Amino acid sequence: MSTTDQSVDLESFRQEVRAFLETAPTPEILEAGRKTTSVFAPFKETMAWQKILNDKGWVAPSWPQEYGGTGWNIQQRYIFTQECNRRGVPPLLPQNIQMVGPAVLGFGTDEQKAEYLPKMLSGEDFWCQGYSEPGAGSDLASLKCRAESDGDDYILNGSKTWTTYGHHANKMFALVRTSTEGKPQQGITFLLLDMGLPGMEVRPIIGLDGEPEQCEVFFTDVRVPKRNRIGEENQGWTVAKYVLEFERGGSTFGTFLVPAMEQLHAVCDTPDASGNRLSDDPILSYKLAELDIDIRAVEHNEKRVNANLKHGENPGPMASLLKIMGTEVMQRFSELQLEVAGLAGLPLQNDALVVGSNVAPIGEESALLAMPYYLNTRAASIYAGSNEVQRSLLAKAALGA
Amino acid sequence: MQYQYTSEQSEFKDSLRKFVQDHYDYESRRHLAKEGNGYKAEYWQQLAELGVFGLPFAEEFGGLELDLGYLMGVAEEFGRGLVLEPMFPVLALAGRLLAAGDNAELKNELIPSLIGGELLIALASEEKASRGNPLIMATSVKAEGGELVINGEKHAVYAAPQASQYLVTAKDESGAVKVLLVAADAAGVTATEYQTVDGARASNLRFDNVKVPASASLFSGDAAASLELVIDEALLVMGAEAVGLMDQLMAITGEYLQTRKQFGMPIAAFQALQHRYADMYIACEKIRSLMWGALQTVGTAEFAESAAMLKAEIGKSGRYLGQQAVQLHGGIGMTDELSVGAYFKRLTAMDLILGGRDYQLSRLIKIRKAA
Repeated sequence: MSTTDQSVDLESFRQEVRAFLETAPTPEILEAGRKTTSVFAPFKETMAWQKILNDKGWVAPSWPQEYGGTGWNIQQRYIFTQECNRRGVPPLLPQNIQMVGPAVLGFGTDEQKAEYLPKMLSGEDFWCQGYSEPGAGSDLASLKCRAESDGDDYILNGSKTWTTYGHHANKMFALVRTSTEGKPQQGITFLLLDMGLPGMEVRPIIGLDGEPEQCEVFFTDVRVPKRNRIGEENQGWTVAKYVLEFERGGSTFGTFLVPAMEQLHAVCDTPDASGNRLSDDPILSYKLAELDIDIRAVEHNEKRVNANLKHGENPGPMASLLKIMGTEVMQRFSELQLEVAGLAGLPLQNDALVVGSNVAPIGEESALLAMPYYLNTRAASIYAGSNEVQRSLLAKAALGA
Repeated sequence: MQYQYTSEQSEFKDSLRKFVQDHYDYESRRHLAKEGNGYKAEYWQQLAELGVFGLPFAEEFGGLELDLGYLMGVAEEFGRGLVLEPMFPVLALAGRLLAAGDNAELKNELIPSLIGGELLIALASEEKASRGNPLIMATSVKAEGGELVINGEKHAVYAAPQASQYLVTAKDESGAVKVLLVAADAAGVTATEYQTVDGARASNLRFDNVKVPASASLFSGDAAASLELVIDEALLVMGAEAVGLMDQLMAITGEYLQTRKQFGMPIAAFQALQHRYADMYIACEKIRSLMWGALQTVGTAEFAESAAMLKAEIGKSGRYLGQQAVQLHGGIGMTDELSVGAYFKRLTAMDLILGGRDYQLSRLIKIRKAA
């Protein structure tokens, strides 16, 4: 299956994907899929799934074929994600394939590509992102983590935060400040480094759900070779922007929301011991119907943007629209899922959420995720460019200002 | 028309504020929520000494017999400081239901020790299928040879792991609601204890042929009306707690907006965020107004309606305010290290217990149709 022909038979492609997904994931991987309470699935099992996909050659559908891509067109990629979500496998952690990979593909030397890409695909390396800093969130360009030139090395001082799964990573890609001249964007460099270098300290941050997902990383005179730089010195902003635009039309909220909503409907339609169904309640069914409309709109927005994109084109301001709509509908879904869980959403059940813990949930398994998912999903309108920033971008583009 | 605390109520409320300020910095609260049984017996005793537990009870039991405004003032301060001591389930729910009962012997036995801080008692009323309606229950009670036999399951019984006694609601063979005193260690009681998302302790309780004497029944007749009334009055107390939570969340968020700088200026300079903060302010004031409005109708035919409106609004505006406080803080608002998340989670839990917005709306529709 390696065609970029637009006339490819999508239905037989779907069948091929389904057949593979039916047998490929192990029970642990499927359990991790069920116990995914945010964008970031349980680490160990998700990396095991990445290895299986890599063996199949399906790990990086968006990459060029010569570096391990699948050659699928954008519709095929959407179908693949859709079928993965329908099957309930954990989504791959985006850092390797979607975040650092494109930077190396676009700006790395042949040597760097040969060194890094294979282990990104296989998951032998796991990369974390060192972008945000305590003082640089929405205003990322104001980042301060300093890289001083010293012969063949840079010496890093400063800190990074919101480094997702930093405590699991062996590698980091970071934006560091190499110059304070000119506009803030102009003095930033894109750097690759090993975790655990002398002078580095990782501190996990406990989230609202009681689990560490993010980390702070501190640098004190950390020595990083200059050959680990991606692109030119002070050109890191260009690299980072390229990465953001790499997943052209890659918005796939609909592929998650559609099957998730089907499951929520199923829960509401299941009669309890006395034969009552939650969907008999007119107020709840009104809310379900409203959410159905929003999810349908998200799905068709994404498909329409994809369908109209010519090869290599960037969706432009539509990317902001898809991010705002996708994340806010996801949040509304998480609210309704919690309302449906009701009292069963109250117990903290972090033990039962550990894959392989064999701790029985208190109440139904469908309710187990409702609260942590609701809490974690509040981050969706904060990360990857807050929705306030996205609204400004969208308005600016729409008004032609 | 009362729209603020009376000077006597304020005085009492201020003494509680001092108690909370002295004991509840966020770090110690964070530890208390995670460790042991989730509250401090020493604080509980101090609250007894301050007279908190005597507020709703008649003087004959050693109580102060003061109106709901006092308890609301306490709840507001508890909300502001995210206090974990289970005043709400023990006093506003179980305690006030106890006061409403007509079993003098039971009341004489329990109320004085509740006032003294020796007894913690929990109300087991909510069930999975009740979806907020306290009169829908599968739990049953049957008379058998001079004893009463209870079967059923109760969910999210706040303070149950800390309590030695439960008040359990059940329906008898005629369909009347009964309230029964059951010891936590009675044969046939199975408790699944857990920590709740808002840092409290609760249990799911199973009753398998639990036997109590006929004298364990708190009401001689049908307790349905008293149960609904006590829960509605407790919703006022919860409303006051919500106001305390929201006031504090507004203060914390306002300060953050003025000190956090991005793009070279305090983020309070951005109009989009100013408008958001204004909407949060409106959300907060809506609940405050509905709370005072509801207090004015206590004892009248309109009370059920105004209590349902207040609770429905907590489900909407309380949730909105909590969510937006997190949003305006950005990543730091998503952490356990900042108190913002804890306020947000308490506001989230409020909608899930004692009838969420959907149930309250359906209730309002019914009340209107019946009028």
